Amino acid sequence: MSDGFEPKILGIFCNWCSYAGADMAGTSRMQYPPNIRIIRVLCSGRVDPQFVLKAFELGADGVLVAGCHPGDCHYVRGNYRAERRIALLRAMLHQLGLNPDRLMLKWISASEGAELVNAVEEFVKKLKELGPSPLRKG
Amino acid sequence: MGEERTIVIEPATRLEGHAKIVLKLNERGEVDDLMFSITLTRMFEKFLEGRLAEQAPRLTPRICGICPEPHHVCSLEAVEAAWDVTPPSAAVKLRDLLMQGKQISSHALHFYALAAPDFLAGPFADPSVRNLVGIIKNMPDAAKKAIALMRVGQTICRYVGGRSVHPVTGIPGGMAKRLTEEERDELLKLVNEGEELADFTVEVTRKIVEGYLDVITKLGVVPTYYIGLNVEGVHTIYDPKATVRVMDPDGKVAADFPKGDYLKYAGERVAPHSYATHIFFKPAGYPDGIWRAGPLARINVADRMETPKAQELLKEFRDTVGRPCHATLAYNWARIIELVQAVEKAKKLLEDPEIVSADVKLETVTPKEGVGVAIVEAPRGTLIYNYWTDDEGVIKKANLIVATNNNIAAVEKSMLVTAKQIFEDKIHEKLKFPEPWFK
Amino acid sequence: MPVKVAFIQLSSCWGCWQSLLDLHEALLDVIPQLDIVFWHTVVDYKFKDLEGLPDGSVDLGLTEGFCRTEEDVHLLKLARQKCKMLVSYGACSTFGGLPALLNLYPIDEALRRKFMEAESVVDGRIPDRVVPKMLDYVKPNPSIVKYDLLVPGCPPEPKLIAEVLTSLLKGEMPKLKERTLCDECPRVKSDVVVVKKIKRDFEGIPDPEKCLLEQGYICMGPATRAGCGAVCPSAGVPCKGCMGPGPNVLDQGAKMLSALASIVDYESVSPEELVKAVKDVVGTFSRFTLPSAIIPRAVTDRRK
Repeated sequence: MSDGFEPKILGIFCNWCSYAGADMAGTSRMQYPPNIRIIRVLCSGRVDPQFVLKAFELGADGVLVAGCHPGDCHYVRGNYRAERRIALLRAMLHQLGLNPDRLMLKWISASEGAELVNAVEEFVKKLKELGPSPLRKG
Repeated sequence: MGEERTIVIEPATRLEGHAKIVLKLNERGEVDDLMFSITLTRMFEKFLEGRLAEQAPRLTPRICGICPEPHHVCSLEAVEAAWDVTPPSAAVKLRDLLMQGKQISSHALHFYALAAPDFLAGPFADPSVRNLVGIIKNMPDAAKKAIALMRVGQTICRYVGGRSVHPVTGIPGGMAKRLTEEERDELLKLVNEGEELADFTVEVTRKIVEGYLDVITKLGVVPTYYIGLNVEGVHTIYDPKATVRVMDPDGKVAADFPKGDYLKYAGERVAPHSYATHIFFKPAGYPDGIWRAGPLARINVADRMETPKAQELLKEFRDTVGRPCHATLAYNWARIIELVQAVEKAKKLLEDPEIVSADVKLETVTPKEGVGVAIVEAPRGTLIYNYWTDDEGVIKKANLIVATNNNIAAVEKSMLVTAKQIFEDKIHEKLKFPEPWFK
Repeated sequence: MPVKVAFIQLSSCWGCWQSLLDLHEALLDVIPQLDIVFWHTVVDYKFKDLEGLPDGSVDLGLTEGFCRTEEDVHLLKLARQKCKMLVSYGACSTFGGLPALLNLYPIDEALRRKFMEAESVVDGRIPDRVVPKMLDYVKPNPSIVKYDLLVPGCPPEPKLIAEVLTSLLKGEMPKLKERTLCDECPRVKSDVVVVKKIKRDFEGIPDPEKCLLEQGYICMGPATRAGCGAVCPSAGVPCKGCMGPGPNVLDQGAKMLSALASIVDYESVSPEELVKAVKDVVGTFSRFTLPSAIIPRAVTDRRK
């Protein structure tokens, strides 16, 4: 897309792994696209599907939920819940006419700053292809 | 020479539905045009797409809250047809009992709340009096009996269907709940009360017919085709083996077809002024092939009723107004004949020991890609459901022709005829009306 | 002094009124207390009669049904104008209701399917004379007018209606239950509910005593407001959520989605299997409340 569209991404990251990973990317001076705004929750299992839906309703072009790798969740099983919620949410988005690829789930550990940067860059690229969310206002 | 006039009656009242009537009179006061406009459709056909087929029996009852049970049962029959599923015979009997229960309460409601006020208070009474509340105030005994009769039907619906409105127990493969012996005993007691209450209603009907015979046989008499389910000529509202009979205006059987063939016989024409379409007998074309469904249609097409008391009443009906009877107002009389049959049939089902069987559901049901057609009789008309399912048992497509929809064209025609009779012939000044039962 | 009431039928099925009639003999106590000024199925008063009443002169108005057409919106606003107290009566009025699942489709596509492509239609066209215009999608009534009370249920059970009416006629505001259906459901629940396999409603023969969700049937109980007496699970079938969400919930469908994802056995139900088992997410979780959901209708995403 050459029309200068910049996707707006909401990131919801878990405190123990993925947010720490983002911190690490920051302190290592790794640049990642400014399209993403990150909110910290204690666990990806804290991510209420209503948060994700509200983000889209408010005009987010993409939502990235990030948590600990399976087996590493600080609260043992939270990320398993997140995995299944996100899967159902993607199916719901599809039924509501939104491309389910607008909702991404990534496992990022505290030391995976580079993987995080990669993930965000790819997400931005993907969303630029998809174009603005049809729910975007103005 | 007067002026052109357009009279708009909105909304049409004392019906479950959303409609208005637009009547155009020319300068001479003659009826130029009449449009019966149904002002709503919720398009169930469309949003059924993408739904799990076994959920359809919990979705389509919302088409009508007065007669959700036939919709429930029709959905069940359609999905089972698409999936080649045959439920246990006890489940079929329970569904039949559910249908009869609804027939009892709906016909009682229709008679006492929707139709009878016009006859008991008279068509010239003030609107504030000419309604169910007027009956409650002025004929408290009749009102009590009406409510008791509705309670008989609704209790059957609740025990068999799980809820009194929007049944839930039907599931492809059978029923989720059996009828216990205690429930059966309680319902039998109720149905016996129902017999007396139905007899009372027959007496009220006889008095009405006696007083209004001139009106019934002269006002709004419209020849049409008629459609109704039957089993070898016997009146039925539910039978997986039933066929569909169509009778022409002269009383000849024009067709008697298996449910799956409905598309050869049922045509649907879209009127630009109504969200409910005009249904007609395809071989006869439109508008000649316009048909009517519901009580009058069903007793016209049937050679005989299924139960003895109802059959006696049918003989009395035919001795008075013939067969086929084209008198629109005779619908109410036909309705009571059907009410009596529903009570008799409910009793017969409750006396069948299989009605309390525990074997009411298949353990294994396998969804598949398929097409199913189901046809049952709702109180006010024939329900035709056609579902297409994919290999996961999700509904791909649905076509529905729903009860009163069968009658829209004929209602418009009968209104036009009646409007001419009133505005041009001033028939209301010539007909014999009895003294109202209350003012 | 009889209470002036208006029973307003918007796009509806009449099930809520039938449920009121299912009070049976108790009706004979209630009806004499009422002066019914509008109820188009029962009394012959027309729109112009309602329009002619002075504003605020009707003590109590109940609206059944949702707004499908422009005429519904007009009637709803008229009801608010004429009635001192306005009650949203039933799931359609309060949330949008089951028929608002049509929000999953563009209205033009729906009209075309029904009036032009249906197999029995012989000369298709879209009705456009005299009939009121269809709204593009259903918005819940409470987003169109302000209500004094919202009563959920499809329909509200007769017992609930009796409680609500009794309160209102006494001049009191009824309070809905704040707990979920599981609280009033008579079925036996384990201390920890784990679902090892999700079953479709026709699969197997459910145990009549045990929690249906535990047995693998998708029961909306955990995300549904109590008040109906758990009538469906008592009859042997899962709750489908017609009482809507409990307090402080924006999106009933999202809540149930979350609950189900939380209680499946992580060893035996992978995310893919979960999606495959549910299949119809919106039709299952938001059946009665789609217009009230956070994303209330389907849109078109350019590249899918």
